[in-house]
Amino acid sequence: MSHGILGLGGLSAAVAATAAQAGGDDEPGDAGATEARLIAILKSPEASRKAKADACRQLSVIGSRAAVGPLAELLGDEELGHMARYALEPIPDPAVDDALRGALDKLSGRLLVGVIGSIGVRRDPRAVDALARRLQDPDSQVVRAAARALGRIGTLEAAAALEKALMEGITTTPAGDRLALAEGLLRCADALAAKGESGAAERIYAKLETAPVPSYVREAARRGRSSLAAT
Amino acid sequence: MSEAADAMRSSTVGRMTRRDCLKAAAATGAAAIFPTIVPASALGRGGAVAPSERITLGGIGIGSRGEFVLKWMLPESDVRFLAVCDVRKERREAVKNLVDQHYGNQDCATFADMGEFLASRTDLDAVLIATGDRWHALAAILAMRAGKDVYSEKPSCMTIAEGRAVVETANRYGRIYQTGTQRLSEANFVGAIELARSGRLGKIHTVRAHIAPWDAAELSHAWLPGEPEPPKEEVDWDAWLGPCPWRPYNSTYVRGGWRGHYDFHTSCIGEWGAHTFAQGQAGIDALNTSPREYCYVKNATGDGMVTKFANGVQMILQRDGWQGSCGMKFEGTEGWVSVADGYEKPEVSSPSLLPEAEKLVAEYMERTGRPMNHVRNFFDCVKSRAQAVAGPEVMHHSMSTVHAANICMWLKRDVYYDPIREEFLNDAEANRLRSRAQREPWII
Repeated sequence: MSHGILGLGGLSAAVAATAAQAGGDDEPGDAGATEARLIAILKSPEASRKAKADACRQLSVIGSRAAVGPLAELLGDEELGHMARYALEPIPDPAVDDALRGALDKLSGRLLVGVIGSIGVRRDPRAVDALARRLQDPDSQVVRAAARALGRIGTLEAAAALEKALMEGITTTPAGDRLALAEGLLRCADALAAKGESGAAERIYAKLETAPVPSYVREAARRGRSSLAAT
Repeated sequence: MSEAADAMRSSTVGRMTRRDCLKAAAATGAAAIFPTIVPASALGRGGAVAPSERITLGGIGIGSRGEFVLKWMLPESDVRFLAVCDVRKERREAVKNLVDQHYGNQDCATFADMGEFLASRTDLDAVLIATGDRWHALAAILAMRAGKDVYSEKPSCMTIAEGRAVVETANRYGRIYQTGTQRLSEANFVGAIELARSGRLGKIHTVRAHIAPWDAAELSHAWLPGEPEPPKEEVDWDAWLGPCPWRPYNSTYVRGGWRGHYDFHTSCIGEWGAHTFAQGQAGIDALNTSPREYCYVKNATGDGMVTKFANGVQMILQRDGWQGSCGMKFEGTEGWVSVADGYEKPEVSSPSLLPEAEKLVAEYMERTGRPMNHVRNFFDCVKSRAQAVAGPEVMHHSMSTVHAANICMWLKRDVYYDPIREEFLNDAEANRLRSRAQREPWII
């Protein structure tokens, strides 16, 4: 397969420039050599933020397991943390999940929110316990990101963690956090229903119908439960 | 979930209205936890429309296009615009002035922060979203999660994944969603679509869809030179970028110069394809799907790209062929029809088709209850909870066509797309381009 992505307009020019910085001149279509050059850019102290960001863009399309380690090292970088995730998120290698999970205990604030978001996008079921702990985080942004990510993972375990957090925090959880917990639960129920686990889905919907959330959220749960009847 | 269940869920589109919600909240005591601001419309000042039937509206990111749509919406007697949210002070003030002048008061509230806007204005039934393209899907999702119905300008998503997320959110919360493909509510275009759908043109084999005759399919990754960031109160640059990768501030982006940049734009294909693909797909009853094949053309724009649907119909992207913008042409075994903006009437292969088109438009309006007025259709649906003509599925599938065509051009090779699984066949690189990691904290 040709790697036509290298012809991606401005990206190709940017990558050519950054490759020149790294001294590379590999043959077109040689993905391994291209990836090695891009990794070298990530590691280069001389490479600019723009050059590294462009390398991440390129790696988002052609990156392999070899790029995971160097990208993971950037997850805590205030300037490049997002671009590291930009590259990592679509790489279909379980090493990415390990790297993202491994970053959870090292980060805080927005960078942590970002990593939690990527874990959700990748639907990593092994992250449920770690994300469940984040539902008690003092940072609301972290709580909300964890709730949505657990919803995307959509397992029974994820749902249990969300339900526990919602019900135990009825009087103390801020309204915005509660909305995120409810969103997570709705996502779980939808995911379980899609997998044929309608009993579990129905139980979640029913719980939400009486939960301390706005009426339109309870209505969403009612609609979800009604839709199960048509399956 | 079965297709039947999904269909049932989306067809009901939130039977509970804001008024029903208020009653239910009061009955359950939930309002004590989530206090509801009494809508300004409930005060019933002036107007013949009963306050309980009035739609309370807000706006997010109202620039020049948004102002056009807002001016279209304001005269609707059953709509009351109450608040605007924008990261640009200049636009917040401009919209407030426009709205206050329209109503003869000083009541339009302004917000710089979308989170605060959506969390505090629980009195709003619906929002008009007219940010730059990069924010359309995310703002729509956040608004629908907050219980609002959404009218979103187009192109309404930046990736296939974003489009799917809009569909899921609308279905989950039973929200009315309308993408701003207004030609689906204009008589000339509907007439052409109905001529194709009704069989008057015989079996349709080719659809020609207009793409913007400027710019290119390839987009820039270059950063404009950095400029000093203005105070956050003037322009919140971090929020302006939203889910997109960071880059240094340059006022050109904020003034509309974001077009042509990969992070912010969907190219010349998306610029008009967001309209014309929906129009074309409507004429062949393909609004719930996307083409399976995209044949690469060796030029910079995608002009001449042939796409093919599973049923064999081809849709060809063209920069030329019409005298106006956003044109479309249906070619069948027994005739053709072509139309674009500014046409007094559609062009047809036989004069006898014109009265047929007029009749078909009348029948369409009778059958669907939809007016030839896109924003009115939205407001009608906010009240009736019926699906809008350009609902989330219409947006997602027509925009998937845009994204797949762009990916074909970017990869410089033919691509094959499975519109049911929403993935490219045997093409890992194309599949990676279906989504983009969003910048924190703006993650769906």
